[in-house]
Amino acid sequence: MDPYGHLDGMLLAILAGEPAHGYAIAQALKQRSDGVFDLPEGTIYPALHRLERGGLLRSEWSTASGRRRRTYRLTAAGQRAVGGARAEWSTFSAAVQAVLS
Amino acid sequence: MSFLSEIDGALADQGVRPRARRQIVDEFRDHIACEPEAVARLGDPTALAQTFAAELAGDEARRCTRNTFGALSLAAVALVAGQLLIHAAGGYPDYNKGTSTPLALAAIAMITIAPQVAFAAGSLAALRAWRRRRARQLPDAEVALIHRRGAVGRTAGIVTCLGMLVYVANDTQRLAGWWLIAQAAMAMVALGALVAARTESRACATTVGAVSGPAGGLAVDLPPLAWLAARPWTAWAIITTAAFLATAAFTGHAEGSLVEGLERGGLESIALGAGLASAIALTHRHRS
Repeated sequence: MDPYGHLDGMLLAILAGEPAHGYAIAQALKQRSDGVFDLPEGTIYPALHRLERGGLLRSEWSTASGRRRRTYRLTAAGQRAVGGARAEWSTFSAAVQAVLS
Repeated sequence: MSFLSEIDGALADQGVRPRARRQIVDEFRDHIACEPEAVARLGDPTALAQTFAAELAGDEARRCTRNTFGALSLAAVALVAGQLLIHAAGGYPDYNKGTSTPLALAAIAMITIAPQVAFAAGSLAALRAWRRRRARQLPDAEVALIHRRGAVGRTAGIVTCLGMLVYVANDTQRLAGWWLIAQAAMAMVALGALVAARTESRACATTVGAVSGPAGGLAVDLPPLAWLAARPWTAWAIITTAAFLATAAFTGHAEGSLVEGLERGGLESIALGAGLASAIALTHRHRS
């Protein structure tokens, strides 16, 4: 299954719960999908940066165990985008389900 | 070679700026520190670097274009305000009675021709960037095209500003002091903005794209051009008529004389029409 078409929406949904850093986001993506979306973990970073440039996320740098860590959180626009992505997916998946069944 | 040094090198090869590079490498360093085995799951460093660079290149091209368009707008305001206010400052001085006639002619040529090029190139760069504003990534050729149009616009804008400064320097004895100061100040502000935009553009992520020239893909940006391209002599008639009307109206107002406006409009349309006709004829001969 190709998750890239919906990667942005899934990243936003993961961050809707709480702010997280890249490794935690990659692990959440894998766990929540029961390992189905086992994509190269590095590919989430260009997507996170793009979402931040688009104003849907903001990030903060902190220090954890002596190394720099970037933590992402949703902006207000990101919150709205999560709702939009969920509604869009719901419509799309229902339509696909109806056709397939 | 470690993953971190590999991706750092690959990002540098793609022209990603040092600050952005450090941040990306720091994020990967933190990722690997969380779980050392995760390094095997990160993916190919070169492919990741290409993805980062491609996304940054598109964003940077759009940002540079916005800044270039803003700087060109300042130059346009400086030029138009100067021309509209010149009546109150003593009117257009005779070109052969300033400090230097060749300098006056050069300044007039610079503030007449360069703004038209700047307007066309800057608008086309902004139009293409706006049309692709929602694209996650832009193809290399498209990024190169936007940068090239922006570069032509900036260069023509800089020539326009220099032309305004030469015009001011050549006519210090014949125009009111307030106009000279205002025109020079506006030109300097616009020049500073254009130079800053040029510096910013040069620092953008590098792209290697094949592009025919600043006018490449015009039919995509301006669909009516595709229709006109198939009817070159109709285009010739429309453009020369528009040039006549615009020049006649603008210079007629600036000079306060309808006759003067009509004369200059006629000269402008003859010059433009002759140039366009030559280009159309040469293109036709080349194709046949």
